Amino acid sequence: MNLHIVNRSPASYRVHEQALAAMGPEDRLLLIEDGVQGALPALVRHFEAIPGRLFAQREDLESRGLLGRCDGEVQVVDVEGFVQLTEQAEQTLSWY
Amino acid sequence: MRYAILLMGAPYSDQASHSALRFARSVLARGHCLEAVFFYHDGVYNAARLAAPPQDEPHLTDGWVALCEQHDVALQVCIAAALRRGLMDEREAARHGKNGHSVEAPFELTGVGQLVDLSQRCDRLVTFGP
Repeated sequence: MNLHIVNRSPASYRVHEQALAAMGPEDRLLLIEDGVQGALPALVRHFEAIPGRLFAQREDLESRGLLGRCDGEVQVVDVEGFVQLTEQAEQTLSWY
Repeated sequence: MRYAILLMGAPYSDQASHSALRFARSVLARGHCLEAVFFYHDGVYNAARLAAPPQDEPHLTDGWVALCEQHDVALQVCIAAALRRGLMDEREAARHGKNGHSVEAPFELTGVGQLVDLSQRCDRLVTFGP
Protein backbone atom coordinates (compact mmCIF):
# COMPACT_ATOMS: atom_id res chain seq x y z
CA MET A 1 0.00 0.00 0.00
CA ASN A 2 1.33 3.41 -0.99
CA LEU A 3 0.36 6.81 0.36
CA HIS A 4 -0.28 9.56 -2.18
CA ILE A 5 -0.07 13.14 -0.93
CA VAL A 6 -1.81 15.94 -2.84
CA ASN A 7 -1.33 19.60 -1.93
CA ARG A 8 -3.33 21.31 -4.70
CA SER A 9 -7.02 22.05 -4.75
CA PRO A 10 -9.02 20.09 -7.33
CA ALA A 11 -10.85 23.36 -8.01
CA SER A 12 -7.69 24.94 -9.45
CA TYR A 13 -5.41 22.11 -10.57
CA ARG A 14 -5.77 18.68 -12.12
CA VAL A 15 -2.82 17.06 -10.38
CA HIS A 16 -5.23 14.92 -8.34
CA GLU A 17 -6.18 13.18 -11.59
CA GLN A 18 -2.58 12.03 -12.01
CA ALA A 19 -2.50 10.83 -8.42
CA LEU A 20 -5.74 8.89 -8.84
CA ALA A 21 -4.52 7.35 -12.09
CA ALA A 22 -1.38 6.12 -10.34
CA MET A 23 -3.18 4.64 -7.35
CA GLY A 24 -3.33 0.92 -6.70
CA PRO A 25 -6.44 -0.78 -5.25
CA GLU A 26 -5.17 -0.49 -1.65
CA ASP A 27 -3.45 2.88 -1.92
CA ARG A 28 -4.53 5.84 0.16
CA LEU A 29 -4.68 9.54 -0.66
CA LEU A 30 -4.00 12.32 1.83
CA LEU A 31 -5.03 15.91 1.10
CA ILE A 32 -2.77 18.55 2.62
CA GLU A 33 -2.36 22.34 2.29
CA ASP A 34 -4.76 23.73 -0.36
CA GLY A 35 -5.53 20.15 -1.32
CA VAL A 36 -7.88 19.92 1.68
CA GLN A 37 -10.47 21.83 -0.35
CA GLY A 38 -11.04 18.50 -2.06
CA ALA A 39 -12.61 17.24 1.18
CA LEU A 40 -15.52 19.69 0.87
CA PRO A 41 -18.89 18.26 -0.22
CA ALA A 42 -18.79 20.42 -3.37
CA LEU A 43 -15.46 18.94 -4.53
CA VAL A 44 -15.27 15.47 -3.00
CA ARG A 45 -16.83 13.96 -6.15
CA HIS A 46 -13.35 14.11 -7.70
CA PHE A 47 -12.35 11.33 -5.31
CA GLU A 48 -15.42 9.10 -5.59
CA ALA A 49 -13.24 6.33 -7.10
CA ILE A 50 -11.46 5.72 -3.76
CA PRO A 51 -14.19 5.34 -1.11
CA GLY A 52 -12.80 4.88 2.40
CA ARG A 53 -9.26 5.72 1.30
CA LEU A 54 -9.41 9.53 1.33
CA PHE A 55 -7.82 11.49 4.18
CA ALA A 56 -7.41 15.20 4.90
CA GLN A 57 -5.05 16.96 7.26
CA ARG A 58 -6.78 18.54 10.23
CA GLU A 59 -4.36 21.44 10.74
CA ASP A 60 -4.71 22.58 7.14
CA LEU A 61 -8.50 22.36 7.33
CA GLU A 62 -8.48 24.35 10.55
CA SER A 63 -6.20 27.11 9.25
CA ARG A 64 -8.60 27.58 6.32
CA GLY A 65 -11.74 27.59 8.46
CA LEU A 66 -12.89 24.34 6.88
CA LEU A 67 -12.82 22.01 9.87
CA GLY A 68 -16.29 20.54 10.35
CA ARG A 69 -17.22 21.25 6.75
CA CYS A 70 -15.80 18.03 5.27
CA ASP A 71 -17.82 15.41 3.49
CA GLY A 72 -18.60 12.38 5.67
CA GLU A 73 -16.53 10.14 3.39
CA VAL A 74 -13.31 11.91 4.36
CA GLN A 75 -11.20 10.76 7.30
CA VAL A 76 -9.63 13.74 9.06
CA VAL A 77 -6.17 13.14 10.56
CA ASP A 78 -3.82 15.44 12.44
CA VAL A 79 -0.08 15.60 11.71
CA GLU A 80 0.53 12.60 13.96
CA GLY A 81 -2.04 10.73 11.87
CA PHE A 82 -0.11 11.84 8.78
CA VAL A 83 3.03 10.23 10.21
CA GLN A 84 1.05 7.09 11.07
CA LEU A 85 -0.17 6.88 7.47
CA THR A 86 3.46 7.01 6.28
CA GLU A 87 4.35 4.28 8.78
CA GLN A 88 1.67 2.02 7.35
CA ALA A 89 2.52 2.73 3.70
CA GLU A 90 5.42 1.07 1.94
CA GLN A 91 6.29 4.36 0.30
CA THR A 92 4.88 7.83 -0.20
CA LEU A 93 4.35 9.75 -3.42
CA SER A 94 3.84 13.51 -3.38
CA TRP A 95 1.87 15.23 -6.15
CA TYR A 96 2.16 19.01 -6.52
CA MET B 1 11.85 3.73 11.51
CA ARG B 2 14.39 5.84 9.69
CA TYR B 3 12.91 8.83 7.90
CA ALA B 4 14.21 11.43 5.48
CA ILE B 5 12.48 14.52 4.14
CA LEU B 6 12.93 16.10 0.71
CA LEU B 7 11.92 19.77 0.71
CA MET B 8 11.58 21.64 -2.58
CA GLY B 9 9.44 24.64 -1.67
CA ALA B 10 10.81 28.09 -0.86
CA PRO B 11 10.19 29.46 2.63
CA TYR B 12 7.39 32.04 2.85
CA SER B 13 6.41 31.51 -0.82
CA ASP B 14 4.25 28.45 -0.29
CA GLN B 15 3.36 26.17 2.58
CA ALA B 16 5.86 23.38 1.85
CA SER B 17 8.51 24.44 4.36
CA HIS B 18 5.97 24.85 7.16
CA SER B 19 4.38 21.50 6.33
CA ALA B 20 7.77 19.80 6.25
CA LEU B 21 8.87 21.28 9.58
CA ARG B 22 5.61 20.30 11.24
CA PHE B 23 5.90 16.78 9.83
CA ALA B 24 9.53 16.53 10.93
CA ARG B 25 8.65 17.44 14.52
CA SER B 26 5.88 14.86 14.56
CA VAL B 27 8.14 12.14 13.15
CA LEU B 28 10.56 12.76 16.02
CA ALA B 29 7.75 12.99 18.60
CA ARG B 30 6.62 9.52 17.56
CA GLY B 31 10.06 8.15 18.34
CA HIS B 32 11.36 7.71 14.83
CA CYS B 33 14.82 8.66 13.64
CA LEU B 34 14.89 11.56 11.19
CA GLU B 35 18.19 11.03 9.40
CA ALA B 36 18.17 14.13 7.26
CA VAL B 37 16.29 16.88 5.54
CA PHE B 38 17.46 17.40 1.96
CA PHE B 39 16.86 20.91 0.60
CA TYR B 40 16.50 20.97 -3.16
CA HIS B 41 15.30 23.43 -5.83
CA ASP B 42 13.86 26.55 -4.12
CA GLY B 43 13.91 24.64 -0.85
CA VAL B 44 17.57 25.65 -0.51
CA TYR B 45 16.45 29.12 0.60
CA ASN B 46 15.59 27.52 3.96
CA ALA B 47 19.34 27.50 4.58
CA ALA B 48 19.81 31.26 4.21
CA ARG B 49 21.70 32.30 7.34
CA LEU B 50 20.68 35.95 6.90
CA ALA B 51 16.95 35.21 6.95
CA ALA B 52 15.26 37.70 9.26
CA PRO B 53 11.49 37.21 9.23
CA PRO B 54 9.26 39.39 11.45
CA GLN B 55 9.49 38.33 15.08
CA ASP B 56 5.85 37.28 15.25
CA GLU B 57 6.29 34.78 12.40
CA PRO B 58 7.84 31.30 12.59
CA HIS B 59 11.58 31.43 11.87
CA LEU B 60 12.00 28.49 9.53
CA THR B 61 15.80 28.51 9.35
CA ASP B 62 16.04 28.55 13.15
CA GLY B 63 13.45 25.78 13.26
CA TRP B 64 15.64 23.53 11.14
CA VAL B 65 18.72 24.39 13.17
CA ALA B 66 16.87 23.45 16.37
CA LEU B 67 16.01 20.04 14.90
CA CYS B 68 19.67 19.48 14.16
CA GLU B 69 20.83 20.58 17.61
CA GLN B 70 18.19 18.64 19.53
CA HIS B 71 17.84 15.51 17.41
CA ASP B 72 20.99 15.35 15.31
CA VAL B 73 19.07 15.71 12.05
CA ALA B 74 21.46 16.33 9.13
CA LEU B 75 20.57 19.42 7.10
CA GLN B 76 21.78 18.73 3.57
CA VAL B 77 21.58 21.40 0.89
CA CYS B 78 21.98 20.60 -2.79
CA ILE B 79 25.11 22.52 -3.80
CA ALA B 80 24.11 22.95 -7.45
CA ALA B 81 20.70 24.36 -6.53
CA ALA B 82 22.27 26.57 -3.84
CA LEU B 83 25.14 28.10 -5.82
CA ARG B 84 22.97 29.26 -8.67
CA ARG B 85 20.67 30.97 -6.18
CA GLY B 86 23.49 32.80 -4.39
CA LEU B 87 23.59 30.48 -1.41
CA MET B 88 27.10 29.38 -0.44
CA ASP B 89 29.22 28.69 2.58
CA GLU B 90 32.59 30.31 3.34
CA ARG B 91 34.52 27.76 1.36
CA GLU B 92 32.45 28.14 -1.78
CA ALA B 93 32.44 31.93 -1.41
CA ALA B 94 36.24 31.90 -1.37
CA ARG B 95 36.33 29.56 -4.35
CA HIS B 96 34.03 31.83 -6.36
CA GLY B 97 35.66 35.09 -5.22
CA LYS B 98 32.59 36.36 -3.35
CA ASN B 99 32.53 38.66 -0.34
CA GLY B 100 30.55 37.07 2.46
CA HIS B 101 28.67 33.83 2.69
CA SER B 102 25.02 32.97 3.06
CA VAL B 103 25.06 29.38 4.37
CA GLU B 104 26.68 28.16 7.56
CA ALA B 105 26.73 25.05 9.73
CA PRO B 106 24.77 23.05 10.65
CA PHE B 107 23.55 23.29 7.04
CA GLU B 108 25.95 21.46 4.76
CA LEU B 109 26.34 21.76 1.01
CA THR B 110 26.19 18.33 -0.55
CA GLY B 111 25.57 16.68 -3.88
CA VAL B 112 22.36 15.12 -5.09
CA GLY B 113 24.06 11.75 -4.63
CA GLN B 114 23.34 12.22 -0.92
CA LEU B 115 19.64 12.26 -1.75
CA VAL B 116 19.97 8.97 -3.60
CA ASP B 117 21.84 7.58 -0.62
CA LEU B 118 19.09 8.73 1.76
CA SER B 119 16.37 7.19 -0.38
CA GLN B 120 18.19 3.86 -0.25
CA ARG B 121 19.18 4.02 3.42
CA CYS B 122 15.94 5.25 4.96
CA ASP B 123 12.67 3.38 5.41
CA ARG B 124 10.63 6.40 4.35
CA LEU B 125 11.38 9.42 2.19
CA VAL B 126 8.61 12.02 2.26
CA THR B 127 8.61 14.85 -0.29
CA PHE B 128 7.18 18.33 0.25
CA GLY B 129 6.86 20.17 -3.05
CA PRO B 130 5.90 23.76 -3.79
